[in-house]
Amino acid sequence: MTQKNKKRIVNTLLYAILTIGALTMLLPFFWMISTSFKTAGQAVAMPPVWIPKDLQISNYEKALSMAPFGRYFLNSVLVTAISTTGELITTILAAFAFSRLEFYGKNVLFVLLISTMMVPGELLTIPNFVTLSKWQLINTYPSLFLPFLANVFSIYILKEAFEAIPDEIYYAAKVDGSSDWRYLWTVMVPMAKSSIVSIAILGIVGSWNSFMWPLIVTTEQSMRTLPVGLQAFTTEAGTQFELLMAASTIVVIPMIIVYLFLQKNIIEGLASGGSKG
Amino acid sequence: MHNKPSWKSTFQSLLYLAPALILIGIFNIYPIFKSLAMSFYTDYNIFTGEVKSYGLDNFSRIFADPNFFRAIKNTFFFVLGVVPISIVISLAIAILLNRIPKLSDFFRSVYFLPFVTSTVAVSIVWNWLYHTRFGLINYFLSFVGVDPIAWLTNPNYSIMALVIMSVWKGLGYNIILFLVGLNNINKTYYQAAEVDGAKSWQQFTNITVPLLSPYILLVSIIGVINSFKVFTEVYSLFAGRPGPAGSALTMVFYIYEKFYTEYQYGVASAAGIVLFLIILVFTLLQRLISNRFVHN
Amino acid sequence: MQVTFENVKKVFDKNVVLDDISFEIPESELVTILGPSGCGKSTTLMLISGLMFPENGRILFGDKDVTEMDAMERKVGMVFQNYALYPHLSVLENIMFPLKMLKMPKDERVERAMELAKLVKIEGQVNQKPGELSGGQQQRVAIARALAKEPSLLLMDEPLSNLDARLRIEMREEIRRIQEETNVTTVFVTHDQEEALSISDKIMVLDKGYIQQYSSPTDLYNKPENLFVAQFLGTPIINTLTMTEALNLSSLAIDPTILKKAKTVAIRPENIFEVKDESEAFIKGTVRFVEVIGKNVTVHVDTEIGDIVATDLGFIHERGDEIMLGVNEEDLLLFDDQDLTIQRGVSNA
Repeated sequence: MTQKNKKRIVNTLLYAILTIGALTMLLPFFWMISTSFKTAGQAVAMPPVWIPKDLQISNYEKALSMAPFGRYFLNSVLVTAISTTGELITTILAAFAFSRLEFYGKNVLFVLLISTMMVPGELLTIPNFVTLSKWQLINTYPSLFLPFLANVFSIYILKEAFEAIPDEIYYAAKVDGSSDWRYLWTVMVPMAKSSIVSIAILGIVGSWNSFMWPLIVTTEQSMRTLPVGLQAFTTEAGTQFELLMAASTIVVIPMIIVYLFLQKNIIEGLASGGSKG
Repeated sequence: MHNKPSWKSTFQSLLYLAPALILIGIFNIYPIFKSLAMSFYTDYNIFTGEVKSYGLDNFSRIFADPNFFRAIKNTFFFVLGVVPISIVISLAIAILLNRIPKLSDFFRSVYFLPFVTSTVAVSIVWNWLYHTRFGLINYFLSFVGVDPIAWLTNPNYSIMALVIMSVWKGLGYNIILFLVGLNNINKTYYQAAEVDGAKSWQQFTNITVPLLSPYILLVSIIGVINSFKVFTEVYSLFAGRPGPAGSALTMVFYIYEKFYTEYQYGVASAAGIVLFLIILVFTLLQRLISNRFVHN
Repeated sequence: MQVTFENVKKVFDKNVVLDDISFEIPESELVTILGPSGCGKSTTLMLISGLMFPENGRILFGDKDVTEMDAMERKVGMVFQNYALYPHLSVLENIMFPLKMLKMPKDERVERAMELAKLVKIEGQVNQKPGELSGGQQQRVAIARALAKEPSLLLMDEPLSNLDARLRIEMREEIRRIQEETNVTTVFVTHDQEEALSISDKIMVLDKGYIQQYSSPTDLYNKPENLFVAQFLGTPIINTLTMTEALNLSSLAIDPTILKKAKTVAIRPENIFEVKDESEAFIKGTVRFVEVIGKNVTVHVDTEIGDIVATDLGFIHERGDEIMLGVNEEDLLLFDDQDLTIQRGVSNA
């Protein structure tokens, strides 16, 4: 057997393994979408119906009429947008102070902040719930985003990125007549764009999929976010799997569409967040 | 070359820091101390916030609660299932992706897809896949002669069901981290090994594994920390219950139940402190072990 | 604009970088601050720019005390060693950046930036990003940006040290041309003596936080005030010989009282010639090694008081030749036990 043939066989084998793996990864999504278009009878048919002939669009109409998914969607968009924007602003300002400005107690303060990252967020849930109850904010939008407007990990990532910008650029901007404030927004932020995009993606994915906190602070249906709304829908739909799958598809598809367009940014953003942690 | 801090520059810096510091102070730092304090509340009015007495009652109550030990045991089983399985599979796939000439970005995107989708939605889909009579998984198993398994209703299988789904969901993330690590390995090492006559497997054990070991440590630490905090998967896979007969009761689920359905804030806080300590001990242990075996 | 330092002192982490220095930089001249690394030359530039502040002393621009003003208020132009261009902005946007900070209207900004791009001959690349340009082109952009707001003072911190040798010579001529065309007072920092000698109206040599000498390039070379300056300038390095019996200076017309105080003798390699009569030679020796680089011939001579290098002896020698070396008294430098110059040629007497 020649070297070339051997290589070809090995490659074919690699692709075969990877394809089987990829199909396994995709199967649940395929099955979700397929079931969402079936009749109740087709859904529980054995052997399974892989691709239904008549698409039951009515499953979607029914699911949408049973629960206000539009409202959940808007809530999710609003909460994700506010918490991510807020987080970016507080992060940029704080990372600038830590990386570029000189002040008393800088190192102590930074170490203090970094050490809070060791504590699991779940532990903070109870006191935060108590705080927001005291402020009578339960079942309001602020309760959904307030605790997420600042993030120590993001400050840490951006501080590192800001510190990679040479001092001379700062000196040049100063000599060019720029104040600290303008330097931050016109020079530093554009130069650290890729890190800021990573932080934004981490924030968006985290906020969009977040479950425990919105579950705790929302008891009214109108305040639920998509994951909480979908979870609540399971009790209403019971064992009507075609409806459950239609609702799941409604929740999953927007994220998949965004992912298809931004996959490179999303993957690299999440990976860089992980490898710096 | 920096100028020295002055009171003026400190004041200016504080203006930049204020938004983050105020929010982190209220929602990150204060709660750490507050939850520690709450774990010692023994007589507490949740409506007025009035504390009548402090003590160790909350800790003695959780340590006398069989459910608490069950939660710890379940969580350990879950962590010991998810982390090693996920590392082995994702490392294998990352190495395959690193070797193929084309389409590796495409495969990478496919494997990563579950990670960005809502845990609640995919858990509901898996709930359907695991269905004893109509589920796709039992249908496939029937081809190899396995009788239908009651994945979600037989207490013996609930942690396994949770592990399989969690491995599937988190695989892509670990693959990405391993790919970053593999790309950081200088290609000349392999060329040198080839010249020295090392076979593929020898290259894997002598070059890839030692040079990738910092990433294996990273993935295992992230995996352990996240797996110890598993909650949403349980909640959504078992329809808001901690599995049949509490067989999928995890530590965070225990905390959630004490706090949210039983209003026992003190007990929940005490359990939270124990969770924090367990995670702390585990990460320190991992670092200690790594200092002996990880190549830096 | 004239710049004045009065008793300026700068300390970093208890290290005194500049100790009580005073000088004046005259209007419209190009002054170079020259010194080895760590001598305080960049710090001096930072103090002029307002990016750093002195512990003691005053800094004046013209008659105005600017000691307390920061870089934004001092309105100087500055060029950095690594160019410090904004990588996310185009060449034109880089040049316009200082004008934008001055809130100049957009069309005026563009017009002014184009003028400058022409002055530094970068007008063909205005829409490119700095990363797409060569080092020399980036340096041109940096100069244009520094000149954009018509500063009365232009500061340059080792602007040529990241360029290759040929480009360095081209750019230093360009800097001289631009400085003469704009007539802007310029302070140029470098560790390269050749660069300093070729470009400057005046040179300030700094070492260990003190001004060693501040004079014209020719005086600096021909009339160094101390041994450090004499050794710092010139390639090959000046021959430095300890005053001993072996050294025969009797044929030279030197004041015996000065000769008595002299501790060290220094002779530039190009001032050494060959003599036939032993009484005229200050030393004799054996040719150890002849180095030929193109038209330059450098002869290394082994003598009983050490190695002597001569560059103007011509092609006549080869290894092993016995040779007698002479020097004219006006080319002889003598230093006392403080390493200060006590004799620098009869023309100075």
